[in-house]
This record gives sequence, C-alpha cells and structure tokens, in this order.
Amino acid sequence: MNKYDPSLQRLLAAARRAPVSGDESAPFGFSTRVAARAFEQGQQSSPSFARLSLRVAGIACLFAVVAVGVNYKAITSAIDDESTVASDDPVADVVNLDS
Amino acid sequence: MPDDQSFDLAGCLDRVRKHDQIAARDLVEHLHPLVIRIARSHLPRRVAEEDLAQDIFLKMFTRIDQYKGEVPFTHWVSRIAVTTCIDHLRAQKRRPEFRWADLSESEAEVLDSAITNENDVAPDDALAARELVQKLLERLKPDDRLVIQYLDLDQKTIAEISALTGWNQTLVKVRAFRARRKLQRLYRELTESERS
Repeated sequence: MNKYDPSLQRLLAAARRAPVSGDESAPFGFSTRVAARAFEQGQQSSPSFARLSLRVAGIACLFAVVAVGVNYKAITSAIDDESTVASDDPVADVVNLDS
Repeated sequence: MPDDQSFDLAGCLDRVRKHDQIAARDLVEHLHPLVIRIARSHLPRRVAEEDLAQDIFLKMFTRIDQYKGEVPFTHWVSRIAVTTCIDHLRAQKRRPEFRWADLSESEAEVLDSAITNENDVAPDDALAARELVQKLLERLKPDDRLVIQYLDLDQKTIAEISALTGWNQTLVKVRAFRARRKLQRLYRELTESERS
C-alpha cells in the first residue's frame, strides 16, 4: 500500500498518541431508555402485522387476476361492442377525419 | 471488545427476542463500550455521541431477529455501528477547502513542527495533532475516512477492518490505497496553502 510523506507520518503518529477520551460505560438511565424505546418501536411496527398485510395484499392481487380471467370474454366483447357503437355514431365519423 | 466469557450472551439474546426489557438493558450495558468506541471514532460534526450510540442500539434491536450466529455477535453489532456512522457522515456536508488560516494556534504549531522538525512531534501536542488529523479526515468521503481511521489511527489489520465493516479484504485494501492517496493530496494542499 502507498505510504505518506514523512511529515504526515509524524503527524499521524502524534495523533495516535492522543489519549482516548471519556468513560466507556453507559451513562445513567441510558440503557433503560434505549431498551424501552426499542420495544416501543417494535410495537409500533410489528413484523407480524407487516407480514399479515403483505399476505392480504397478495391474496387481493390473486383475486383480481382470477376475476379478470373468469370475465375475460365478457370484457373483450364489451370492448368490441363499444367500438361498433362508435363506428355507427355519425359524430364519431365527423370527428375521425382520417377515415 | 466486551468480555463474552462472563456474560451469557446467548441467553440474553433469547430473552431479548422474547421482549424481556431487563435483558435488553443488560445487553445495552454490555455492548456500550464497543459501540461508544466506534461512535467516537467516526463521530460527525454536531452529532452527540450519545444520540449516535442510541441510534446504533435501536437499529440493533430492530434487526436482532435477523442475527443467525454466522459471525460473532460483537462483529455483527460493529457492522451495524459502522454503517450507522457512515450514514450519519454521508448526511453531513463535507468541509469546504481547508487552509492554514482555518487552523487553531496549536494546530498550526503542530503542523509546523511536523513539517520542519524531523523528530517526532512533542507528546504535549498529541491532542492538537489528533484534532488536525480529524479536520483533514472530515474532508474525505465517509468510507475513506473510516478506513484511514481504522488503519492509520487505530492501527487495525486489514483482516480486523474486514471483520468490523463486512467489506472483503481486497475492498479494504483498494479503499485504503485510494483514501491514503486522497489524504496525502489534502495534506499537500494544506501545507502548500498560504499562511495568513
């Protein structure tokens, strides 16, 4: 790996000698507060509720696809009927200047 | 690293998963030294170390069901701590150009001493040296800053950095190479800037 200029090396060596500041144990009340907040957060966004919501959304999508499949013929014939009506419509003929 | 010998980590984790608040409190107290050390090493400007530590612990509890024991729990927590610090560092704007004029008196003295004196910087100047190095690191990207901090200040090995960050060893080496080159360039810009 690349090395630094000697003066930068001296600066880094001096920085390494700086005393590590501060007590490392948790301040009073910190762990209690964090533990309480952790479970409070867990209740707000319960993973079981999220999983249930996803399942319900999946089932709803499945129903939608099945409904379209079952009624496919009815839907296509309805679209055909609409286009027939449109072609019989004199206003549609006037507006459709290309034909 | 926390002493896993005297602390029943597996039992504590089981109880935490069952939403035992006392176990969660014990776990926070057990891991606090590890987490606060990482938070202090990578603390963004204007962020209190306690707030950052709290954020790390909350993420740990949110993801605790995802821990499968593939790596030691302390390594898993370290990675959460490191990624949280990187997220915070990314959220802050990097310092603009950095010149002699931006240095405090003690920082300017220690820099002058490092440039002109071929001996080591005086032990009394260690704090000023650290502050100056931190100012230089603040101008690097979070990933670069992190790798320099671990490699050149904490003197960790490539394997240790890989375990702490979850980056593979080749990635650590590549990042270290680029980060050192950037730090070297920043340092040169600083030393060549006008003293005013």
